[in-house]
Amino acid sequence: MIRKVLVANRGEIAIRIFHTLREMDIRAVAVFTEPDAQALHVRSADEFQRIESYLDANEIIRAAKESGADAIHPGYGFLSESTSLSTACETSGIKLIGPKTDTIHRMGDKLESKLLMRKAGVPVVPSWDGDPPKSEFPVLVKAVGGGGGKGMRLVTDPAQLADAMAAAAREAGKAFNDDRVFIEKYVSDPRHIEFQILGDTHGNAIHVFERECSIQRRHQKIIEETPSPALTPELRAQMGEAAVAAARAVDYVSAGTVEFIVGPDGRFFFLEMNTRLQVEHPVTEMTTGIDLVREQIRIADGHPLSFQQSDLRQTGHAIECRLYAEVPEENFRPDTGTIAIYKPPIGPGIRLDSGIDEGSTVSFHYDPMLAKLVVWAGSRDSAIERMKRALSEFALLGVRNNIEFLNRVISSADFASGKITTHFIEHHADLLHAPTGDVPVGALLAASLGASRAAAKTTGTTTFADVWASGAWPNS
Amino acid sequence: MTGREYHWNTADRDIVVRIEESNGAGLLHVDDRTVPFTILDSAADSGWIVVDGQNQRFYRHRDRDTVVVWIGGRTYRLNRVEKGKSLEEAAGSSSGEIRALMPGKVLRIDVAVGDTVTERQSVVIMESMKMESALVASRAGTVKSIHCQVGQVVEMNELLVVIE
Repeated sequence: MIRKVLVANRGEIAIRIFHTLREMDIRAVAVFTEPDAQALHVRSADEFQRIESYLDANEIIRAAKESGADAIHPGYGFLSESTSLSTACETSGIKLIGPKTDTIHRMGDKLESKLLMRKAGVPVVPSWDGDPPKSEFPVLVKAVGGGGGKGMRLVTDPAQLADAMAAAAREAGKAFNDDRVFIEKYVSDPRHIEFQILGDTHGNAIHVFERECSIQRRHQKIIEETPSPALTPELRAQMGEAAVAAARAVDYVSAGTVEFIVGPDGRFFFLEMNTRLQVEHPVTEMTTGIDLVREQIRIADGHPLSFQQSDLRQTGHAIECRLYAEVPEENFRPDTGTIAIYKPPIGPGIRLDSGIDEGSTVSFHYDPMLAKLVVWAGSRDSAIERMKRALSEFALLGVRNNIEFLNRVISSADFASGKITTHFIEHHADLLHAPTGDVPVGALLAASLGASRAAAKTTGTTTFADVWASGAWPNS
Repeated sequence: MTGREYHWNTADRDIVVRIEESNGAGLLHVDDRTVPFTILDSAADSGWIVVDGQNQRFYRHRDRDTVVVWIGGRTYRLNRVEKGKSLEEAAGSSSGEIRALMPGKVLRIDVAVGDTVTERQSVVIMESMKMESALVASRAGTVKSIHCQVGQVVEMNELLVVIE
């Protein structure tokens, strides 16, 4: 029985896992590195342990032993898809809340995973480890050990393949300590649609529907939703079956994700399997009522799944926006600083998975994702309206961020009509910039009031009674 | 009554803002527009205003000479070109025209045509929004003409007194 869990991660995902641990009456242990000594996730756990690096499995195990944790949740990123942590867990008798080492190993190798899926009857994108036929260009060069767009290059001209492979290999070597790359057919105008899977140690495997993740910048998702506006019930059933076949092929245990690309013709191909909890898992939770972290913990404790495929229904529509400290106008460069103002939206159908608060420091040490804003509503149209409302109410000052950019994407006609592919951002470059035009009088007044001590002093004398007496009360 | 002028630059555009304000209410002049406002709360990093009838909350963060304002779901970055100054300082070219800053009633006229006035001397006392405020001479000079009477209800920006 799991009684204490160390979360080998930081930021919003660490805090999100703490929430479920608390609901399950399990003690939560945070780890932190020196730059994160003041971070919100450290303040949010029951206990904390300092470590040298989130990427050092030995350090994580040492911290788990020192705190007496009987299980480790890796979150996403960092060691979540590394066999070094799962192997170290096995040898030290600590449970890993995740899949088996063998699964992580086989699915982490992007070439082997495809061979395996092809054998299991799952449709796979053609790939090569040597030169592809000229007719197959454009192609993508990808890192064998990678993810998150690192070590990835699009090559349209066969003459440029060698250079692109060398550059991708250098990038992959730095990011993943593995410089092997391979070549894959490039599907034009694709959608990225993935299926949530769950497997237990009793041989059960199910899918928990899809997530549409086509809105990406620099090959990283920024807006995800479920259900996908592109899937017919037939296609959903077909892809769900393929996802479960993929899970069974590796005897999948815990929560995972089977990623597909879907062409404009509705043909779909297995892309990769993510052997971890996914960043965008909340949209699945919002539409099914399932707590995926709770399921992961129950599975790690040896329980069978709490439901069968036929028990699962999706209700309504959920959308997630990833808030980044970055400047969309300047090629999405990350920004750093201190969060001066943080006023998230509240109200019906809103969930915020946040790693920051007012006063938090955003440094260059880690990923600039600050929080995930998730909304639920009865239909896709009303979920879009709700997300617009939520983004419009979200005040965040101190670091440059993408809130307004997300709002422009969500408010665009093509998003509303569901016309989305992974090229959406490149094809809507106009959305990168705020509309020009006059600065509203309210902004000029607010700025000027702040600039004038005299004005501040004068206004400081305005009292509730003054305003009431003046009849200027907005509702009077 | 305080009146100040602010010079901002945003998106390569220079904006001059004139604000006349008394007891939390006043007028903002920008380009050729004049907009009435009420300030319901103004702290260092946030505030609550009614501008042209629209109730709005704002948040504000200063980063050296840039003031970043969040209002109405959007963030504006305004660079201060120069320090805010009083309208009198700003207008060495002061027109000498004294106008109503808000709609209201003329309670008292403290000068007569031909009187000599000093800068900042009280000229007209007005009642607006149940608050009394004094309109002062923007520069020293002689009262050339008076365009209102005690008890008269005047419109915003209506010409009251001319000093030359």
